[in-house]
Amino acid sequence: MFLAVWWRRLWLFLNRDRVRRELEEEMQLHRDLRARAMERGGAAPVDAAAAARRRFGHEVTLAERSQESWGFQRGDELRWNVRYALRRLANRPAYAATIVLVMGLGIGATTAMFSAVDAVMLRALPFREPSRLVSLPIVELPFAPGPGKPAEVRATVDLDGAAAMPDVFSSVAAFAAGRLNLPDVERPLRLRAAVVTDGFFRTLGVEPMVGRTFVKEETVPGAGTVVVLSDALWRRQYGARDMLGETILLDDQRYQVIGIMPPGFSFPRESDLWIPMSVPLTPATFAAFGGMLNWEVMARLTPGVEMTAANSRLLQRWAQAIDGRDRRDSREDREERLAYLRSSGAVRPLQAYLAGTRATALLVLLGATGLLLLIACANVTNLLLSDAASRTREMALRTALGASRARVFRQVLTESVILALGGIGAGLLLAPVVLRALQALMPSELAGVVEPQLDWRVLGFASSLGLVTGIGFGLWPARAASRTDPGETLKSSGTLLATGRRSARGRRMLIVVEVALSLMLLVGSGLLLRSFSKLMRVERGMDTAHVASLELSFAGKTHNATRLARIEAMLERLRRSPGVERAAAVSELPLSSGEGYAEPLDPVDGGAAPPSGSRGARYLHVSPSYFGTLGIAFHSGRDFTPRDDSLAPPTVIINETLARQWFPNVDPVGRQLLGHPGPGRNVHYTVVGVVADVREQDLASDVPPQLYHPMYRVTPTAFALVARGHAEPAALFAALQNAVRAVDPSQAVGRARMMDQVVRESVAPQRTNALLISLFAALALVLAALGVYSVVAHGVAQRGREFGIRTALGATGGNLLVMVSREVFVVVALGIAIGLAGAWAGARVLEASVYGITVHDATTFVIGPATLGIIAMTAAVLPLRRVFRVNPVDVIRSE
Amino acid sequence: MTRREPIPQGTLDLLVLSTLDQRPELHGFEISEAIGRRSGDVLQVEEGSLYPALQRLMVNGWIKGKWGRTDENRRARYYHITAEGQRELARKLSSYQRVSGAIAAVLQPA
Repeated sequence: MFLAVWWRRLWLFLNRDRVRRELEEEMQLHRDLRARAMERGGAAPVDAAAAARRRFGHEVTLAERSQESWGFQRGDELRWNVRYALRRLANRPAYAATIVLVMGLGIGATTAMFSAVDAVMLRALPFREPSRLVSLPIVELPFAPGPGKPAEVRATVDLDGAAAMPDVFSSVAAFAAGRLNLPDVERPLRLRAAVVTDGFFRTLGVEPMVGRTFVKEETVPGAGTVVVLSDALWRRQYGARDMLGETILLDDQRYQVIGIMPPGFSFPRESDLWIPMSVPLTPATFAAFGGMLNWEVMARLTPGVEMTAANSRLLQRWAQAIDGRDRRDSREDREERLAYLRSSGAVRPLQAYLAGTRATALLVLLGATGLLLLIACANVTNLLLSDAASRTREMALRTALGASRARVFRQVLTESVILALGGIGAGLLLAPVVLRALQALMPSELAGVVEPQLDWRVLGFASSLGLVTGIGFGLWPARAASRTDPGETLKSSGTLLATGRRSARGRRMLIVVEVALSLMLLVGSGLLLRSFSKLMRVERGMDTAHVASLELSFAGKTHNATRLARIEAMLERLRRSPGVERAAAVSELPLSSGEGYAEPLDPVDGGAAPPSGSRGARYLHVSPSYFGTLGIAFHSGRDFTPRDDSLAPPTVIINETLARQWFPNVDPVGRQLLGHPGPGRNVHYTVVGVVADVREQDLASDVPPQLYHPMYRVTPTAFALVARGHAEPAALFAALQNAVRAVDPSQAVGRARMMDQVVRESVAPQRTNALLISLFAALALVLAALGVYSVVAHGVAQRGREFGIRTALGATGGNLLVMVSREVFVVVALGIAIGLAGAWAGARVLEASVYGITVHDATTFVIGPATLGIIAMTAAVLPLRRVFRVNPVDVIRSE
Repeated sequence: MTRREPIPQGTLDLLVLSTLDQRPELHGFEISEAIGRRSGDVLQVEEGSLYPALQRLMVNGWIKGKWGRTDENRRARYYHITAEGQRELARKLSSYQRVSGAIAAVLQPA
């Protein structure tokens, strides 16, 4: 039945010309017959024909109504509507462009932000049953001083301990991300290598594409010279040839290729290859990675076990282990730690753990874009409403001339749909741009695991919001036209009575909303900008200008003396390079190693341990003149010399914080500290110098106690060369590269960066955060100003007659200005008041993101509203200039 | 001359179908005249509504049109009701009778 109807409609549509002709003929016959009938009734032939036509009604209308019953909107009407809408929009390019841009911004920004949040927090990790994957931050790895020696007994739950809970964890694994050199005279490569236990692949639930993964026997200390390659490395480096059983050289060590992972798998941290991690760990494991290996333990929950149950089981086990063995900590300390672990969770979802603190920043930004989208919608609504007001007469005129309501409706709808589609198109173009800007905010732990992709669902959602706004409010004039009597509207010539009080009040409310939301964004951006500028002005303890750095690392098995000789040779050559004034080496560049590594300290001969805080100190290995090269001030004592070697009594240089904590009120130079560079090792260090506190970890964290060891005693395998000079950065980089090449052409090098760049990169997330939110705030400000402007301009245009009469009655331009400003002021002030309350309450979400100020920073909460108030009032005053130009006679006469 | 009344909204379809049900093969003018005559010249078909209504009925498949010749040898479209149209007429008729009966009951002075 329906099908038949549709078929007939289609037929009519396809034969529409013929159908129209036939209808025309039919109606002509009717008119003729009617005229004849009237003539017979006694009318004159001419009158009869006219009467017959009159009875018939308007021919065009009639034809249209008949055609409407065909159910197909005529193609040419659609074409006509589109042409008309485009012409109207082209006549007002600013209006059209504003709506398209504003909607595009709202849609694009929201989509990109949500896509980023989705990748980090919502999308499942691409592993089997990812919801069962957990991170176990309190589980330790057993450590043995060497191969064959028994593992130390630690007062905690270790990997084997967790593995022995099969009713909770079906498999457990440890992994760490490091870098290894693939020696190659042509092009030495620095590869991302993951060190993993045999349970790694099983826990994630991934299978190799070719070959196999590690077995338990390959993870005992001393064994494990096998490697699994990533698909990407296999194709890139080896042209995807058959590699199984071949050996490759990594850092002087031969590894046999036993497997290749499927494409796309590169966990953790975009790894190129995987090598076995020995259980227990031995110093050799660390040696291959410059003594640094940040390992994590993860597990897969046994089916049916809940996260909370696993958490309490693991903590119970942990408490038993502590009670049994550790006698150093007091009972209160243990209770406190246990309580903390209970609240923070000893078993956490792997995804949340990998996303880390970046999640908060992304959520804040998502909130900000949400506000922006709302402001954008309010603004578009505002623009459409003002357009609607001025179109009411046009609509009335069309209706009076015989256009059917449906026809007028379709015409307005066409224009709204075109605008909305334009906005969505702009959003589509903008979304990838914003998404790229967001890359700096993505947690590096998730790189290569989940990449943000444009989320089509969100694009759909944001677009529908745009469509609803655009079409819903775009149809206002059509609605108004159908409500009002066209005759009345037309008679009220010029006064535009149709846009009544109600619509004016609605638009003022929109302004209140826009101002309030903009203020919230403005305050948020103010807080982040102020804390970013505080962060950049924080005392770094070093002078990073004109310093270039180059990171590199030796193969793990090189001898201490060999490494030392090479570094010295590189430094020697570097110092002779033109443009280089000072050069040095350090085991880790400031602001690039995160928390770094710490060793426990004990007081010596009656000295006192610091009353508070941990007894550990962060350590670095440095060459002489490291402090001079980086502009780190010496407070007392001396720099290292080549005589501070492994034969001399161990010396250290300490930072101010360590000096203050361990040697209050005395000069630390010449004093001693008992250090524990490895488990069970005791070394008496003599302090030879005190240097200024340097922000080694990151700019925001307090400087921890810091030890500097001379590299003559222990030479790190991973290190960075730094060179200060007033030459161009390119020249400094060339000098660094040449120095390395001259010593060993096959030495792979890592990143070459100016220290200023290192600083910038260390605050990249904060900067991106502050910049994006400021961008949003600036946009919101512009939108709010635009909104105020258009409402006032429209109001002034509408009240021309009132102003004219007032002027005629003696009001001056100044009086009118004060009158209108007062009205605008009330609206803006209301918006600011609401916005302030919202910002005050909402500022808490920035708690983790601000530095050096509180989230209720007085300066921001004063400057923000003041800026917004001034801009809004300026936007309001601009259209008021027209008030002065009102000539009362003209206005009243035009009525 | 009797006062002519426009046809109440929505009943035109019913009138056209019922007219064609009794007298097959009428063209537009004849339909309008037939309705006028059968109502004792009380009901006046607005020509402006007749042709849209005919198009609508054709699209729904309730009537069919066929081109033929008038007595004066002019081309005209002659309409006839389909089986589906007869079923629709029965439906419309019973619903109309229910409604008009109900209205009459309401308007009846108690």
